[in-house]
Amino acid sequence: MVISESHILLNYLIAIILSIVVAVVLKLPLVPEKPIRFSWTKSALFPTPIITIGILGFVYSLGFFWIYDGIILAVIICIISGLFVKYLFDYLFPKPLMWSDE
Amino acid sequence: MNEIIGVILASIISWLNFVIIDTYFGLPEAPGVKGADIVGRSIKKRGGDLSGGFFQGNILCSPDASAGTLLASVAVMVLGVQGGLMAALIVFIGNRLCADPGYAGTIGALSMTIIVFICSLLGFSPLMFVVGTVIAITTIQGLDHRSSSILLGIIAKKLNRKTKLE
Repeated sequence: MVISESHILLNYLIAIILSIVVAVVLKLPLVPEKPIRFSWTKSALFPTPIITIGILGFVYSLGFFWIYDGIILAVIICIISGLFVKYLFDYLFPKPLMWSDE
Repeated sequence: MNEIIGVILASIISWLNFVIIDTYFGLPEAPGVKGADIVGRSIKKRGGDLSGGFFQGNILCSPDASAGTLLASVAVMVLGVQGGLMAALIVFIGNRLCADPGYAGTIGALSMTIIVFICSLLGFSPLMFVVGTVIAITTIQGLDHRSSSILLGIIAKKLNRKTKLE
């Protein structure tokens, strides 16, 4: 199946926006606390959309778009990413013990 | 575009991409892990700059924007723009495994994906950016630690990211 580039771009934009919405609905903070560059807080803006577009890119690169030109797939991956960041993220990527805190 | 000119320009663009992003996200400010602290202080002992040393130690100890830049260039070469998005996720996972919050690496990979895409419209090939990034990282990590750390320290000072540690 051949999907136009504009459709794929639209799917990514929908995925980014929807993943942020899903994360906010799951009561993740919108942005990490300041200073952001040293913050370990998971939030709606980081890393939820990164995980979403990474997985979506992987699936699309395999040529799997499923129905409605891949848009349903984008929505499902948004929801899964939001749930992953909310409930599983800390288990897989725990905040390390800072050596300076020892 | 001529390959040699393309690689030179790509090196400059890659260098600016990862040095500015890494500095902005605070790599020169503090060592993320013990190894980065040891590298930074060792470079200072040899006459280098401590901020630049922490920068070098941090990019050595975790995949920051330098690795993001390289991985994104490779991924765009192999899989197109979608590859760059996957590279950002892979760099983020690598960051988290290396005790790093992951902002610099991820943003670096995404910005490089956009840069390679825009430059490909201007006649650059992604391969030029792969070679260019390797050259850019070599100028920081592979030639002379003392002088490169001093240069990184100056950039850190300009961006208000100089370390407060002694």
